[in-house]
Amino acid sequence: MAYKELWRRLLYLARRARFHSELSEEMQAHIECRADELEQGGMPRAAAMARARREFGSAARAAEDTRDAWRIRWIEDLASDLRYAGRALRRNPGFALTAIACLALGIGVNTTIFSITTSFLFSVPSCRDASSLVAIFLGGNSARPMTDYKFIRNTHVFQGMAGMNPEREVNWRNGDQSTRLYAGLVTDGYFSVLGVPFQLGRGIAPGEKDTAVLSHRMWRGRFGSDPSILGRTIVLDGRAHTVVGVLPGDNKTIVGLGFSPDIYVPAVREDDDVQLYARLPDGTSSAAARAQLQSVLQELDRIDPKDGWKRSANVRITGVTGMDLLAQQGMDPVLAFFGMLIIVVGLVLLIACTNVASLLLARAASRSQELAIRLSLGAGRMRIVRHLLAESLLLAALGAIAGLLIDVACGRLVSSLQLPLPVPIQLVVRLDWRLLLYTVVVAILSALIAGLMPALKAVRKDVNAGLKSGHRMTERRWGLRSLLVAGQLAASIVLLTTGFLFIHNLLRALSMNPGFDTQHAVWAYMRLVPEKYKDQGRQMALVTEALDRLRALPGVEAAAITRRVPLNDNCVIGADVSTDLSSTKMPLTYQCINVGPDYFRAIGIPLLRGRDFSARDRKGSERVAIVNETFARTVFGKRNPIGHTITDFISTRRVVGLVKDSKYFTLGERQQLAMYEPYFAQEEPVNLNFIVRGYGAPAAYVKPVTDALGRLDSSAAIETKPIIQSMGLALLPSQAGAAVLGAMGMLGLVLAAIGLYGVLLYSVARRTREIGLRIALGATPAEVLRVVCRQTFALVGAGTAVGLVLALLATRPLAMFLVPGLSTYDPGAFAAVIGVLGGVALLATLGPALRALRVDPMTALRYE
Amino acid sequence: MLILRTLAAGPLHGYAVARRIKQCSAQVLEVEEGSLYPALNRMLIKGWLKADWGTSETNRKARFYHLTDEGRKQLATEAGKFNRLVDAIQLVMKTV
Repeated sequence: MAYKELWRRLLYLARRARFHSELSEEMQAHIECRADELEQGGMPRAAAMARARREFGSAARAAEDTRDAWRIRWIEDLASDLRYAGRALRRNPGFALTAIACLALGIGVNTTIFSITTSFLFSVPSCRDASSLVAIFLGGNSARPMTDYKFIRNTHVFQGMAGMNPEREVNWRNGDQSTRLYAGLVTDGYFSVLGVPFQLGRGIAPGEKDTAVLSHRMWRGRFGSDPSILGRTIVLDGRAHTVVGVLPGDNKTIVGLGFSPDIYVPAVREDDDVQLYARLPDGTSSAAARAQLQSVLQELDRIDPKDGWKRSANVRITGVTGMDLLAQQGMDPVLAFFGMLIIVVGLVLLIACTNVASLLLARAASRSQELAIRLSLGAGRMRIVRHLLAESLLLAALGAIAGLLIDVACGRLVSSLQLPLPVPIQLVVRLDWRLLLYTVVVAILSALIAGLMPALKAVRKDVNAGLKSGHRMTERRWGLRSLLVAGQLAASIVLLTTGFLFIHNLLRALSMNPGFDTQHAVWAYMRLVPEKYKDQGRQMALVTEALDRLRALPGVEAAAITRRVPLNDNCVIGADVSTDLSSTKMPLTYQCINVGPDYFRAIGIPLLRGRDFSARDRKGSERVAIVNETFARTVFGKRNPIGHTITDFISTRRVVGLVKDSKYFTLGERQQLAMYEPYFAQEEPVNLNFIVRGYGAPAAYVKPVTDALGRLDSSAAIETKPIIQSMGLALLPSQAGAAVLGAMGMLGLVLAAIGLYGVLLYSVARRTREIGLRIALGATPAEVLRVVCRQTFALVGAGTAVGLVLALLATRPLAMFLVPGLSTYDPGAFAAVIGVLGGVALLATLGPALRALRVDPMTALRYE
Repeated sequence: MLILRTLAAGPLHGYAVARRIKQCSAQVLEVEEGSLYPALNRMLIKGWLKADWGTSETNRKARFYHLTDEGRKQLATEAGKFNRLVDAIQLVMKTV
């Protein structure tokens, strides 16, 4: 009912002009009807018309009353307020542009960070009805072999089962070279059970062994978005696969976190490990499904026991979206990082808002006379507040639009960014309704924050004082504006300190000694096609041959093979360890790395005692190990560890060497224990990592090394790079932190500087007469400057003092992101912040100060 | 209410409404012609009336108003209220 009424009124609003002409036509018809009647009674036409008009009364008033009846007061008022505000802004473009730019930057960085955060943390996988999908963990394990998958699938506890291993690699034979791709190994029901939408074609169908699905990135990047790609044969790991589908560009995998393999291939081997996903049947809760699954698994444990380890022991079923994904282990630092980002950009927005508020305050003050006149003519205070708010609302709307444009640009940038990570992460940043909602809320809030204070202040003023013609020095020294600017400076100090802290952190991380030589080695990664190396010993022969050829290259000092390249891969073992000196078991956590002979020379880790591994240390010979200093100290104390034995739960090894400590997974890690074992002591992996050390610059060795390895096996994928380039993962947190927080700090500083500049300029403008008087009475330029600078110093001093205290407190929790040895109490950073802020403050003072000096006493005093 | 009652018989244009009210009330009630249109428009807003252009009996273009279902309902409730009021007044007049 009320809606219909509103609707009719809105229709009226849209067709106002026509409505009014119709109304006057109607009233004219009324009068003429009456005149007709009178004329029939014998009255002459002219007299009849006059009488009819008289009887009707005032047509204008009737029309006015009718209009009033139709009107929606507030909409028309709002429209007129907005029109007025728009005119006012156009008349004052400097003010409008500054305010809009401030808001756009504030809103732009907010929405950008928000959209990155949502796409990274809260992405909903591209699946049909993701809320009924669950991830299953058996016995605490994230991945299980295909046999387990098939068993559970055949029990029909769930409506559908799917399995996926997102961390596989395949070699793609591309012309005459092989390229390693990140592959997702999927079960045949994966795409249909999950209901993944496709750009082209379809998913992998049940029973298919040689089909493949391309990611959009791969399709675009490697096949030039070829529309006839379906049916094309590509060679993966030496076998021909037919492309049956292409995923759309906005596909988000069920793994989340922006994880996206290049290509999907079917899991064909029984021992392929996959993470299990399932769709809950309608109306079944995950608790009920878990109970059913548990009994199924007990059955499986009975049929196929795995010595001691029980699948049914630690069964977890979790959702695949939102908080369930975030509740996984190891997510805390990531969450903390994004939380910090949100706070930081919130601060930037706050600074932007205060900027706009102080700009509006200045405007309101310079318009106080106009407002006073309006008030004394009887304008309602609320009406004026509303009018001023409309102005800030208009600013916020324009700012939000500009901010969204900034955000779209940044989003494009982020989406095209390839992070230097050893996993395929691709963030899909798209404009979505959540972002729009967020922007609108942010814009309205900022309009209220920025507009309410000046508006209220403007109408609280005494009408009489405002009406007097002078802008006299009636304002207190510490007005609202000064407080705002001081607050802004304080907030930007917090931002800057954080930024500097992270920049310092990055510098420290870059110069940090990882314990091995990053300057002279190249890392050649060679992935073999597994099927070609099934026979025992074939691989060892290849590795031996490869090392011989690498060592024969001119300028090569050493070449070695290793299972893991430091700062790129992590293998932590937890075991109870005893020695030949003491049988008490020590629970230890240590890095375990299998390396070949000459590894320590090639990578530049000094061998302190004992011997290196030799070609004789292999399967079947005595088990030997080399330990690092921290391991030796922890296990053997001050004794020489060489010759002693270490026993973990299965085997005993004799320590033959001691090497210097180095970094293993991240630069910021605490010193870890490490044990090296001979490369061929265990099974033979298909991923080979060669470390080649040359006498010259490593870049020169990249091509010869690649060629030498390529000649050994043309089906192998080879990637060679100087080892310094492989430190992306280790440096990413510090780089990202430094880049983002440094940028935010600078942005905050610029915004605060604009605020300071504005407030000083405004105060100089208001004090023109006072300064003129001073000059007329003989003040020297130095004294005039002192007047202006005193205000700067007061503002900057107060802001800095408050900001430093806040910064000290606020940066405390950031310690978790910093490399060891760098404390959040970083005097260097604080000193730098104060220096920068002081410099900027001086710059901001320069303009107003010059203007004060140029004040002509005659002009200034003329009004007195 | 008077306008609604007048229109209950069938669609009329503005002048006819005024004339009808005057006639029916035996010239006692005279709707001020100027205030007729704001009143009609208020009822248009409420949705009690609808208006269409047509030709009057004297061949003039005029807007004809007719009652909507909602308008009929409104007339019924208002007439009921009015009758109760009149009854009450009569009761008082008789007893005193």
